[in-house]
Amino acid sequence: MIPLQHFLFVGATLFSLGLFAVITRKNAIQILMGIELMINASILNMAAFGKYDKVDNTGQIFGLFIIVLAAAAVAVALVIIMNLYKRAKSIDPNQTNTLRG
Amino acid sequence: MESIFTPYMLFNFALIAITAPFLAFIFSLIFKRFAAVIGIASIGLSFISSLILFIGVWKKPVLHFSFDWIQLANFKINLGFLLNDLTVIMLLLISFIALLVHIYSVEYMRKDDLKYRYFAYLSLFCFAMLGVVLADNLFLVYIFWELVGFASYLLIGFWFKKEKAVLANKKAFIMNRIGDVGFLIGLMILLTQFHTLDIDVLFGQGNLIASSFVKNDIWATPFGLMPAYWLSIAGFCFFAGAIAKSAQFPLHTWLPDAMEGPTAVSSLIHAATMVAAGVFLLLRIAPLFNQLVLTSMAAIGLFTAFMAASIAVTQTDIKKVLAFSTISQLGFMILAVGVQDNAAAIFHLVTHAFFKCLLFLAAGMVIHQLHHLKEKYQENFDDQSLEVMGGLRKLMPITFIVFVAASIALAGLPFTSGYLSKDAILVSVFEWADERGGIYWVFPLLVSITSWLTTFYIFRVVFKAFFGEFRLPQILGKTAEELKITDPNRWMTIPVIILALFCFALFFAYNPFNLESSWIYGSWNNHPHHTGMYPILVPIYINVLSFALIFMAYQAYAKNTFAFNNQASWYYKLSLNQWYFNSFYDVFLIKILMLKTKAFYWFDQKIIDGFIHLLSNIIIIISKITSWFDHYIIDGLVNGSAWLVSRLGIWLRGMHSGKLQHYFIWMLLIFLSFFIYKLII
Repeated sequence: MIPLQHFLFVGATLFSLGLFAVITRKNAIQILMGIELMINASILNMAAFGKYDKVDNTGQIFGLFIIVLAAAAVAVALVIIMNLYKRAKSIDPNQTNTLRG
Repeated sequence: MESIFTPYMLFNFALIAITAPFLAFIFSLIFKRFAAVIGIASIGLSFISSLILFIGVWKKPVLHFSFDWIQLANFKINLGFLLNDLTVIMLLLISFIALLVHIYSVEYMRKDDLKYRYFAYLSLFCFAMLGVVLADNLFLVYIFWELVGFASYLLIGFWFKKEKAVLANKKAFIMNRIGDVGFLIGLMILLTQFHTLDIDVLFGQGNLIASSFVKNDIWATPFGLMPAYWLSIAGFCFFAGAIAKSAQFPLHTWLPDAMEGPTAVSSLIHAATMVAAGVFLLLRIAPLFNQLVLTSMAAIGLFTAFMAASIAVTQTDIKKVLAFSTISQLGFMILAVGVQDNAAAIFHLVTHAFFKCLLFLAAGMVIHQLHHLKEKYQENFDDQSLEVMGGLRKLMPITFIVFVAASIALAGLPFTSGYLSKDAILVSVFEWADERGGIYWVFPLLVSITSWLTTFYIFRVVFKAFFGEFRLPQILGKTAEELKITDPNRWMTIPVIILALFCFALFFAYNPFNLESSWIYGSWNNHPHHTGMYPILVPIYINVLSFALIFMAYQAYAKNTFAFNNQASWYYKLSLNQWYFNSFYDVFLIKILMLKTKAFYWFDQKIIDGFIHLLSNIIIIISKITSWFDHYIIDGLVNGSAWLVSRLGIWLRGMHSGKLQHYFIWMLLIFLSFFIYKLII
C-alpha cells in the first residue's frame, strides 16, 4: 500500500508546478492550466485524506465537488479570456492593467 | 445785647461770604472778558457779608453750625462754620483787603494778556482763605490750608515765562509741604486722642482740651491715655505747619523768592493774609500748647524777627526788603503767641495786614511806573532796585505820602496802629521775661534791637526811594524831563489812600496811647496785666532811639552827609547774603538730596531695571526654546505621521499594478508570511 506521504508529496509537487505556471506564464490559457494543476493537486490531497474516512468518504465527495466546481470555473475563466481577447487583442495578462484601481 | 440777626441769617451770610469767591473763580475762567468785574463784585459781596457777620457775632456768644459730612465707623467729619470773634475779625480783614487789592489789580494788570486767569486765581485764593477762617474743624481747615498753598503757588508762578518765578513757586510749594506734613501728623494725634477734630469741641471753653490734663507723665483725656510727650509732639507738629505757612525760621526762604509774583499778589497773599494763616492757626488751637512748645515758639519767633530784620537792612530790591520785613513782623506775632499774649498777636496781625499791604501796594505803584519807562525806552534796568529810585517824593506825592504813613506804622511811631500793636507785644515780652528772669532777658533785648532795626530799614527805603535825586536819569544818561513819572491813576491811588487811613491808631483805639482802650486788643485781653512800669517805659525808650535812627537814616541816605563804609565787614555780608540760608540749603540739603536721587536713579536703572531686563531676557529665551520645540517636535510629530502615511500610501499604491500575476505573487507572499509567522511563534 502506498503511504500517505507519497500522495502528499506528489500533491505538493503538482501544486508547486501549478503555482509556478500561474506566476510565470505569459499566456492566460497557460495560467488557467496552472490553476487546474493546483486544483487537481488539492483533489489528490482530498482523495488521499479520504482513505481515513471509510464510513462517509468525505474526501472523495469533496474531490467530486471540486472537480465540478473546477469545470465550472474553467468555463467561466475561458469566457473571461475570450472577452479579454476581444478587448485587448491579446491574452497576455501583462499587457492589460484594467484590474488596477 | 440781642443781635438783630437770627443765627440762620448769619449762617446764610457766612455761606455767601465763602461761595461768592468760588463762583467768581469758575465764572472768571468762563467769561474771560468780565473776570475783573466778577472778581470785584464777588469779593465785594464777601465783604458786605463779612461786615454783617461782624456786626452779628462780635462780642456775642460763639455760633457753631455743623453738618454731617463723612462717617466711617467711629470716625466722623463734619462740615460747618465756627463763628467767633477771631473768625469775624479775620473775615472782615481778609475780605476788605482783598477787595482793595482787587481794585488795585485792575490797573496793575491792565496790560497782561492772562488777566482773567489772574483774577480767577485771586478769587480762588480768597475762597480758600475765607475757608480756613470759617471752617469749624481741623480737617476742613487742613483742606483749605492746602488750597491756600496751591493758590499761592499759582500766583507766585503767574508770570510762568520767567524762569525765576517758576523756581520760586516750586520752592514755596515744597517748603509749605514740609510744614503740611507736620500739620497732618498733628491732626492724627488729636484724632487718636480725642476722636474728633471739631475746633469748638476741642478748644472751646471748658471742652475737651480743658478737661484733659497731664499727670505723672501721662496725658489723660476723656477718651484715653497717652504718654505726655505726645502733647508736646502734637504742639510742635501744628507749629511746624505754621512755621512753613508764616515763613518762620528755618522754612522762611520761600517768602523772599515768592516776590517774583505780581506785586499786588505779594501784597495780599505774601504780606497781609496768607502768611498770617499760620499765626491764625496757632491762635485757633492755642489751648493745645504746653510750656515747652510755647517757649520754643517764642524763641523761633524772636530769632526769625531778628534775623529777617537784620537781612532787610542791606537788601537793595525794594520788594525783598518788604518781604524780609514781613517775615520779621510774622516773627513778632509768633513771639506774641509764644509769650501767651494772644490779644497782641491778633492785634498785630490786623494792623500789620493794613500797613504791610499798603507798603507793597505803594512799592507796586513805583515799580509799575518804572516798568512803563522800561517798556517805553526799551532799556534794561532793574525796576525793583532802590538804586534806580530816589527823589520820587516830588514826582509821586500820593505814593510818597501813603508809603510814609505805612512806614511810620511799621516803625511803631506814636499815633499809628503799629505803635499800639507792636508795643503790646514788646510790653508782653518784657513782662514775660521779668516773670522768668535770668537767660530770658535775651528776649526783650533782641526784640528791642529788632524793633530799632525795623525802624532803620524801613526809613532807609523811604529816604533812598523818595528823597535825594532821582538816580535813574543818570544811569540811563537821559534828562530828568524825559523820564517823567507820576502817580498812577485812581484805580491804584484810591485803594492805597483807604489803606493809609487804617495805619492810624484812631481806627483801633479812642486814645492812641492807651493800648487797653483798643477794641480789638480789649476783646481778647482776658488777664489785663499791663499795669506796671513797662507799658509806660517800653514805648518811650523804643521810640526815642527810633527817632534817632530815623535821623541817622535821613543823614545817610537822603542828605548823603555820611555813608556807611562797612561793606566788607562780615556782618554786612551776612546780612546781604540773607544769612547764607539759601546757600546752606543748596549745599547741605539739595546737594545731598540730588546725590541720593542720583544713587537711587542708578539703583533703579541698573539693579531694578537690570533685574527686570534679565527676567525678560530669560523669558524670551524660554519662549524661543518652546517655539523650537513646538515647531520641530510637536509639529514635526504631526507632519511626520502625515508624511509617513503618505509615503506608505505611495508605496502601497505600487502594489496595485493592475497585473494579475503581481497579485498572485502578493497573495503567495502574504500566505507564506502567515506560515512563517506561525513557524516563528
